[in-house]
Amino acid sequence: MASGSINVSIPSIPRDFGKKKRANRSAKLKQCKLDARREQWLSQGAVKNKGCKEELMGPRVSPQQIHEEERKNALENLQMRRRGVGVGVGEDGNGNGNENGSIHHDFDLDSPLNSPTGSSVLGGNESGTNFSASSSSSTTSGSSVGGSITEEDGEENDNCLDDWEAMADALAANDDDNKLENHFDENNPCLELQSSLEYEPTVQLDCNLPNLGFQNENLTQERKVPPRVTPGNSRAWRPDDALRPQSLPNLPKQRSFKNIDRHYGQGVLPWGCASGVNVPTSCPICTEDLDLTDTSFLPCSCGFQVCLFCHKKMLELDGRCPNCRELYKNDPVKVETSVRRGSLTLRLARSCSMRS
Amino acid sequence: MIDFARVQKELQECSRDVEASGIKVAPKSDNLGRLTGTIPGPVGTPYEGGTFQIDITLPDGYPFEPPKMQFATKVWHPNISSQSGAICLDILKDQWSPALTLKTALLSVQALLSTPEPGDPQDAVVAQQYLRDYQTFVGTARYWTETFAKTSSLGVEEKVQKLVEMGFPEALARSALESVGGDENLALEKLCSG
Repeated sequence: MASGSINVSIPSIPRDFGKKKRANRSAKLKQCKLDARREQWLSQGAVKNKGCKEELMGPRVSPQQIHEEERKNALENLQMRRRGVGVGVGEDGNGNGNENGSIHHDFDLDSPLNSPTGSSVLGGNESGTNFSASSSSSTTSGSSVGGSITEEDGEENDNCLDDWEAMADALAANDDDNKLENHFDENNPCLELQSSLEYEPTVQLDCNLPNLGFQNENLTQERKVPPRVTPGNSRAWRPDDALRPQSLPNLPKQRSFKNIDRHYGQGVLPWGCASGVNVPTSCPICTEDLDLTDTSFLPCSCGFQVCLFCHKKMLELDGRCPNCRELYKNDPVKVETSVRRGSLTLRLARSCSMRS
Repeated sequence: MIDFARVQKELQECSRDVEASGIKVAPKSDNLGRLTGTIPGPVGTPYEGGTFQIDITLPDGYPFEPPKMQFATKVWHPNISSQSGAICLDILKDQWSPALTLKTALLSVQALLSTPEPGDPQDAVVAQQYLRDYQTFVGTARYWTETFAKTSSLGVEEKVQKLVEMGFPEALARSALESVGGDENLALEKLCSG
C-alpha cells in the first residue's frame, strides 16, 4: 500500500521531483529519517501546543472539525485552507501507509494534542481509511502528494529541498489569489510545498483529519504573525526559526543566494556591497579569490577591500587606497585580522583601531 | 609582469556590455600586452559620429602602473596631440589607481572628448584655437572627425581604384596606401606631396 500510494502521487508532482523521488525510493533509510523527522516535528508541535491549547484551540477547532467530517467524502470544492489541512493530514496518511510501526505512535501524539473533544482519534482512523480508499481508486489525492513531499523533506537531498523552497517562494510572490493559505504557511514546510502544487488540476483532498492543520494554525496565531501582510517572505523556514525542524538540511537556499550576492559584490563598486553578507569574494585589483584572512582584512576606512599581496604592493608604491586615494593608515593589519566574523564586527574593530 | 588574469577578466567584462557602453577593447596580439580600444565620439560634440581607435600598451606593472594610451585616429582636441595622438589625462599619469580598469580609463578619455581642458593643453595650437576662435575649432574638429574617424566601408581594392581614378598610377597608389596603413586620405596626401 505504501508503494501504491507513492506511485499514485507521482504524476501530480513536477517531473524532476518525481525522478528524484524514484531514484531514492528504494533506500530504506529514508523511512527511518522520515519517521524521526515526523516524531520530532510533532513533539515540537506538542511543546508549543500544550501552552496555548486551552485559549486557542477551543472555539475554532470544533466547528471546523465537524465540518470536515461531514464533508470528508466530497472531493471537490475544497478551499485553500482545507487543502492545507489535507496536506498536513497526508503526512499521517502516508505514515499509515508505510506500515513501519509509527502509526499508533503518531496518533498517540496527535490525538491528545489537537482534539479537545477527543473525537479526533476517530477522525484519525477514518482519515487513514479514507486515504487508502482514495489511493486504491487511483485518484491523485492530495494526501499522497503531501506524504511523498514530506518524504522528500526527510531525505538527504538538499538540492531538491532548495528547489522546492525556491519554487514555492516564486509562486507565492506572483500569486495574489492565494492569500487564504497564508494562514498555514508560517510554520509548516508541507504547506509551502502545497503552494507549488496549487495549479495541479488533480490535487484533491479527501483526508480530513484536521490535526496537523490546526496545530499549525495555532502556532501561527501564537506567534502573532499577520498572515496577509507578508505573503512572499513567510514561505520558507528561516534558519534561526525556533520551530524549524532540526532534520531539515541547513542552509541550502541561503548558500545559493549568497553566491549570487557575492557575484554582484565583485563589480566596479565592491564598496557598495560591503555591508552585511555581501563581501567581495575576489580582490578587485588582482582578481584572485580572497581567503579568510583577506576577507577579514579591511585596510581602509572607506571599506575597499584588497588582498594582502596587493595591499603590500600599494604600500610600496604610493601607499594610497585605490578607491578613495586616502593614505593607508599605518599597520591596520593587526587589529583587522584578529576579527573574523561579519563586516559589522569588522567595522567596529576598525573604529576602535582609529580611536586608539 | 602584467597581471594577465586581470586583463582577461577586464576584456570579458568589457565585451559583456559593449552594446551599452560602445567601448571595445581587443588585443592586438596574443600576449595581451598591446591592445586596441575603440570609443565612439560623444553625442553633441564635434566628434559625434566618429569612431576613435586608441592604442593601448600595458606596462609590466599593470594594474599598479597606468596603461599607456594614445590615439591611433587623428583627433583635433586641445588635450590630444594632433600629431602623435598623445593624451593629456591625469588618470593616465599620476592619478592612476589600480582600481581603475581599461574600460573606465577609456570612458574617461571619452569624457575628455566632450569636456576639453584648454588650460592644460597637450596641443597648444588646438588649445589656442579653442580659446580664441571656438567656431573654427568646432569646424576643424568636425572636419577631422569626418575625415579620419568615420569608418570607411571601402576595401583596399576600392581605395586603390579611387586613387587610380584621380590619376595616380595603380602601383604607386597601392604602395602609398600600404605605407599609411590603408587610410585613403593619408595616401592621397602622400601621393600629392611625393
